[in-house]
Amino acid sequence: MTVSLRALDGVESVDGDARRRFGGRPERSGGARRSRQRRLWILVVVAATIGSLAVAGVGDRAVVRAEGLPAFGEFFAAALAPRADAEFLTLTATAALTTLAYAVLGTALSLVIGVVGGVLTSQTWWSLGPRSHGKRGTVYWALARAVMVVPRGIHEVVWGLIFLIVFGLDPMVAVLAIGIPFGAVTAKVFSELLDETARQPYSALLAAGAGRSAAILYGLLPPAMSDLLSYAFYRFECAIRSAAVLGLVGAGGLGFQLSLSFQSLRYEEIWTLLYALIVLCVAADFWSSRVRARRTQRVGGARTGGRYRHDPFLVGSCLFGLVLIALSVWWIGLDLAVLFSGETWDYLRQLATGAWPPALGEAGAGGLLELSMVTLAMSILAMVIGFWGGAALAFPAAHLPRGGYTAGGAAARAGRLLIFAASRLLLVVLRAIPPPVWALLFLFVLYPGILPGALALGVYTAGVLGRLMAEVAENLDERPLHALRAQGAPAPLVFCYGVVPSATPRFIAYGLYRWEVTIRETVVVGVVGAGGLGYALAQQLNGFDYAGALTTLLVLILLTLAVDFTSAAVRRTVR
Amino acid sequence: MIAMTRVPEADGGDTGATTFELREVSVRRGATLALDRVSLTVRPGERVAIIGPSGAGKTTLIGLLNGTALATSGEVRALGCSYRHASARRIRATQRRIGTIHQRFDVVAQLRTVHNVNAGRLGVWPFWKAVLSLVLPREVHGAREALEQVGIADKLHERTGDLSGGEQQRVAIARVLVQRPDAILADEPVASLDPTRGLEIMELLLDISAGAGTTLLASLHDVDMALDKFERVIGLRSGAIAFDKRREELADDEVRTLYTIERTDEPSAAED
Repeated sequence: MTVSLRALDGVESVDGDARRRFGGRPERSGGARRSRQRRLWILVVVAATIGSLAVAGVGDRAVVRAEGLPAFGEFFAAALAPRADAEFLTLTATAALTTLAYAVLGTALSLVIGVVGGVLTSQTWWSLGPRSHGKRGTVYWALARAVMVVPRGIHEVVWGLIFLIVFGLDPMVAVLAIGIPFGAVTAKVFSELLDETARQPYSALLAAGAGRSAAILYGLLPPAMSDLLSYAFYRFECAIRSAAVLGLVGAGGLGFQLSLSFQSLRYEEIWTLLYALIVLCVAADFWSSRVRARRTQRVGGARTGGRYRHDPFLVGSCLFGLVLIALSVWWIGLDLAVLFSGETWDYLRQLATGAWPPALGEAGAGGLLELSMVTLAMSILAMVIGFWGGAALAFPAAHLPRGGYTAGGAAARAGRLLIFAASRLLLVVLRAIPPPVWALLFLFVLYPGILPGALALGVYTAGVLGRLMAEVAENLDERPLHALRAQGAPAPLVFCYGVVPSATPRFIAYGLYRWEVTIRETVVVGVVGAGGLGYALAQQLNGFDYAGALTTLLVLILLTLAVDFTSAAVRRTVR
Repeated sequence: MIAMTRVPEADGGDTGATTFELREVSVRRGATLALDRVSLTVRPGERVAIIGPSGAGKTTLIGLLNGTALATSGEVRALGCSYRHASARRIRATQRRIGTIHQRFDVVAQLRTVHNVNAGRLGVWPFWKAVLSLVLPREVHGAREALEQVGIADKLHERTGDLSGGEQQRVAIARVLVQRPDAILADEPVASLDPTRGLEIMELLLDISAGAGTTLLASLHDVDMALDKFERVIGLRSGAIAFDKRREELADDEVRTLYTIERTDEPSAAED
């Protein structure tokens, strides 16, 4: 369970294993103090939500655009009649393959960066043995970690915008834009995996005079490898969504076609493209979950006697991955030469000289502060919407522990099944439609501002959280529920007294953790016009104001870090 | 059989006459003194058992000898190399000539046996060869010979984690064999095994040592085994050497005191 939790994005390990290990003290202080803290945090969250609503202008000015409602309805009506002629299907397939290729190559790059960076940012690598006098190793380790913060703090869309300036319309844009931030996240997760791995075999090899790299290769990587592999497959799922979103800012593929169809308001085309995206996502989802399930079985010791054999499904998946990489390079015509061309370096130089020193721009410090508040408000609203939406959908979408729930006749069972299927489907749709598309949709019915952006992110987050929370609900400890049922409590009360309390801490941990993701994603909806720092950044980059863009970017990173720290602090009191 | 024909004296360099030499060595761990002014010399080809209660400093002593623990004061020399003064390169070169076997085997469960055995060659192999070997195992012949010598040649391609404890310890010994060391250190090598398996492993180590003239220094919980199999026995108590004698000179009560006094004086601190 730990791994699968951490696997779900790796911005911060939910269970905080890492924090405990890196010197955080296990908090066992008085329960009273903690419940006081908890009450305080609830107040803070309520206040923040109200404040955010005020920033969004709710109750202050008109937010709903009634005249947009028909368009909104038309859009969803078109879901049943997507454009399906041969010409457009071919176009869609081509675009889908491009998006897939971006995702494959981006993931491959992120894996390379992740393994190398993960080793270099692990404590194990920097603990230099008994002869490292003083704390030099710790300093190097902290430095290495700090270096990885920057690529991780910048969203792939921002990377995309930057690389568009440097490379122009080249497939390299999407590959690097996915590979670099994903690589940095993978590196963090992997370094934690490495540090959690038993160190004795590694030390034994060092003691026998092996070099550090070789000792890590033989002593540390093999135990961590299967976790890394499963994480890579999970990242592949995310990469497909990212590749689609990158298309919206001009990198080609499904996203690009989506933006074209949006401009001409051809809803039936949009739906064809969305269905293609959903198919890709579901397929990747299926593959990755199969790989991860297989891996867990193996750990359980599925040895079939005699010679040790690799799981054919896992080996096949890896080989198929390699084939996909080769095909992807061919399909998008990836040419490494673009990295070394004079033109690229010229643009890079232009970008660098233009961006340094960073400048405040016309809005000034006050403007930046306001933008930061707006961005923060957007992320808070999105988190709140996502949390409650996800929590509401999670229970119907979960295979809840049986027992009291099996009561009732065939009709009741069929009804439950229907609700289950409908809520699962809803969750899939919510998270399959990328946030910027949601944002464009909400712009039909809402006046521009942060509310459409917050709703877009919130709805998408609800889709993601709903799935995670359903998983939590399915994995709850059965025994307390069983005890409640045994004393004759009816199902709704078992739910209130058993299911909800035991699921809540995990839900909150996930919610906070998605908040960290959401503040990064504000950029994505910002780019299509939902406001905040992301919108400002896109404007500045398009207007060649690189110095201003750098400042905005730095503020954004600071804001992201602030959210990370806050969320970590709250999670500590919740745990 | 793997030929371990290297004559320690010829290769030992400056002070060829001793394999290990400790002079007035102390190791301080926070407030406690893990080792207190220990002096001791081990000559090439000697077979030495170290006995003593938990917390007496046996593991620390072994760590000093293979260079993974650092002395707070005093001088540690292994195969003529002073760990305190030598360069990192020199230390690694020395460590390559010392094989260590651990109580918990410390082999990688996820790797196939052949890789775990070949891990003994990592000090010699260039990095690219180590990488390549994970895909296409190198020096399989040597690895198989080593496994043959420890009696599990048929397990060459099995996942090490699937082997039994005794077999895993054999893999660890095979790893030391391909390292072709001048000295073997064994830290409680049989403590995790049942008595029969433990005796087999111990005899295997002694055979290897006798066959190639390799120095063997083993810390043991099992006093009878130490007295039975080793010519020289060192008793360690509270970080100091209580006795260092040939087994025929050792009196029964000396051994008994080693354990009893410790029990009444201070409860044994966890060592492993």
